[in-house]
Amino acid sequence: MKKLLAASLLVCASSFSAFAATPPNALVVAQSLDDVTSLDPAQGFELTSVQTFTNVYQRLVQSDPQNPTNLAPTLASSWESTSNSLTITLRKDAEFASGNPVRPEDVVFSLGRVVKLNLAPSFILTQLGWNKANVDSHIHKIADDKVKIMWDVNVGPSFVLSLLSAPVSSIVDEKVVMANAENGDFGHAWLNTHSAGSGPFQIKKYIPHEALVLSANKTSPGGAPKLNLILMKNVPDAATRQLLIEQGDADIARNLGSDQFQSLQGKKGVKALALPYASLYYILFNAKVEDNPDLGNPKFWEAAHWAFDYRGIGVDLMRGQFQVQQSFLPVGFNGALTDQPYHYDPEKAKAILKEAGIENPHFKLIVSNQPPYLDVAQALQASFARAGIKVELIPGISSQVASEVKEHNFEATVSAWGPDYFDPNTNASAFAYNPENGSKTLAWRANWQIPELSKMTIAARAETDEAKRTEMYQALQKKVRESSPIVVGLQNKKLVAIREDLQGYVQGIMPDMVYYKNVSK
Amino acid sequence: MSASTPSVGVKRRLWIGRSQNLASGLVSLALTLFGLLVFTFILSRAAPVDPVLQLVGDHASEATYQQARHELGLDQPLPMQFLHYLGRLFQGDLGVSQLTQQPVVSDLMRTFPATIELATCAMFFGAFFGILLAGMAVYKPGSWMDHLARLVSLLGYSVPVFWLGLLGLLLFYATLHWSAGPGRLDDIYTYTMTQNSGFILVDAIRSGDADIIKNAIAHLWLPVAVLALLSMASITRLLRAVMLEETNKEYVILAQAKGASRLRVVVVHVFPNVLGTLITILALSYASLLEGAVLTETVFAWPGLGRYLTSALFASDISAVLGSTLLIGTCFILLNAFADALTKWVDPRTR
Repeated sequence: MKKLLAASLLVCASSFSAFAATPPNALVVAQSLDDVTSLDPAQGFELTSVQTFTNVYQRLVQSDPQNPTNLAPTLASSWESTSNSLTITLRKDAEFASGNPVRPEDVVFSLGRVVKLNLAPSFILTQLGWNKANVDSHIHKIADDKVKIMWDVNVGPSFVLSLLSAPVSSIVDEKVVMANAENGDFGHAWLNTHSAGSGPFQIKKYIPHEALVLSANKTSPGGAPKLNLILMKNVPDAATRQLLIEQGDADIARNLGSDQFQSLQGKKGVKALALPYASLYYILFNAKVEDNPDLGNPKFWEAAHWAFDYRGIGVDLMRGQFQVQQSFLPVGFNGALTDQPYHYDPEKAKAILKEAGIENPHFKLIVSNQPPYLDVAQALQASFARAGIKVELIPGISSQVASEVKEHNFEATVSAWGPDYFDPNTNASAFAYNPENGSKTLAWRANWQIPELSKMTIAARAETDEAKRTEMYQALQKKVRESSPIVVGLQNKKLVAIREDLQGYVQGIMPDMVYYKNVSK
Repeated sequence: MSASTPSVGVKRRLWIGRSQNLASGLVSLALTLFGLLVFTFILSRAAPVDPVLQLVGDHASEATYQQARHELGLDQPLPMQFLHYLGRLFQGDLGVSQLTQQPVVSDLMRTFPATIELATCAMFFGAFFGILLAGMAVYKPGSWMDHLARLVSLLGYSVPVFWLGLLGLLLFYATLHWSAGPGRLDDIYTYTMTQNSGFILVDAIRSGDADIIKNAIAHLWLPVAVLALLSMASITRLLRAVMLEETNKEYVILAQAKGASRLRVVVVHVFPNVLGTLITILALSYASLLEGAVLTETVFAWPGLGRYLTSALFASDISAVLGSTLLIGTCFILLNAFADALTKWVDPRTR
């Protein structure tokens, strides 16, 4: 009996032992795919979707992967600008994966459908004053290789170019898309799961919550990719992703937690990378709470700035996952202030509160129960306690927390803000903008009335002199840092592990900046 | 002889009785499902989560928000929303999932077979070993076999299943290499094998390729083992208690007094008498495996119904939640009805 058992175990062991190693011409990526709602650039606005757009579609201009603040012509070859228009010359002989040429009509169609469909990321383009009725009169074909883009609002061409470099501005193949359109949806239902672009890859197969397979597009205008296939597998559990990369069953494991990152360090065959990322973690107070008027007191906000244990939380507790950043532009953005005027000083916070006559400072903090939000919030609870501020922690599921914040039904929250496009305005219009029309910006969520700052934000957006524009954003950051109910404390890093034999993998600070084209092994 | 052959009239009455049973069964099924739907609908609407926000994200413009709200029909009063849902349901349309942008029906057709495959295999082994262990425990109460049975059921009850899964992966996949990793098949096979039934094992066997079959089993056995341990624990615990209670009854004492061996007492006398209860235990255990494998499915990246439902719940994706609830509810009710019928068939006392 024992012999039989031993023999059968041996058979099991020998038959299953030689798994490991991924196919040589394919890249296997272990990540969560649960966030994807759509793979249509007019709707997809989640991490996985925008990363896919970068590899499947191309835009007129795109950030240079090696030097992100530089916009490089991609489907455009050159452009001429006036204060309210851009005339773009398209790249010669560019083709979509279908073999169709990239024409001005495709540009008109791609940008127009975003505005007409009016889905999640459409606000990026509607900032230019475009709407369903007028968008067609603002984007024109003017020659076989030229398209003219116009706007009525007061913004400069460099701002428009950065909007055109956002994932939502991906150029789709009108002929293929319209052949699959139904009920006037501009091909939206079809593009949810298919691709029609000119990027280095194309969608081969997409099974929601399971896998996304990309195959090489050899005729991509920027050059063919080095690998034939990319297989993104849905592995929802971070610990399981760690196992896969350790075993060599995955080449890249994304979005690891601090724990996984620590235990992967120094493991043979694996490189653990902490990549700078543009997401900022902040604590935001609701300045208009009837039961807790202290939260609207600028002195309270000032005390909160000194009660935030920046280094203790960001560097010591959440090792490797954060860097300290106290301004609303993340490190890596043009014009970001990187100095740190505040440090953890609970005594100073106490003194400020006492001087302002705030007795028994306290607040309820709602936070997502997902890591790292809850970890950060718990650490903040302790750090505020030492400054005499009592924090009641209320964890909830992310969707519930987001809903309550949007209804002003909260006292304080810890959350993160990621930029939507690579221009300082994306964060300025969240942190330093609260217009009358009801745009639900971060400042709006904080019930923070700032007519002056809002005007400055609009003015900075309109400024065409680059140096002056940068100065304006620096002034804005200083003002928000000096007094606001939003205390920015930490900048996130993305924890990614790759196999050691992988070459040419580049990931930038924006969510969409994941480049598979030059990856080889 | 004449007594055992019913007349035509009796036959007819029997038939009518059966069809009435069937009709009333169907009505109660429909009513239960309707109640389930109403309850789920109200619960999902009462949750303080804004489904529109989940769809468009918290950066979107107000115009986009309003448009999405209108398209989801959320600007209508609640009863109207429910009526619309029912209307579509009668046409076999479960709506479109916000999360996957796919019809819920096709999502369910994709995820449910994965779960059935896992649950059925787990049930098979769980029931086999559970019954065996309970039988052994009752054969000699207080012996090492009994202690083993108690230990195993205690373990299966008290150890969190995701932890067991992770530990299993660490040991059998990462260290010993006896199991393949998470997922249903190795990547090389996933996209080369033709899949049409949704059951990987069936498709693998149909492909006739020994390597694929081996690979499918290598992926399947560990999550099956983890779930089987879970269901084995509950089956052992319940069955052991029921059987022990039965051994104190007079007919058992009589059988023992007549000199029947303990083995004969357990197998021939006790077991048939607890069969009805066993069927109920198995049915409930199977039903809970069908909807309760969420954590196992997460750890093993198994794209099943449990995970689909959970992610839909977190995103407040109403159509997907209602569709999955309906499916699970139907399974529960059908399994119960099936167990009832089976019990009546095997146990004359319940007729």
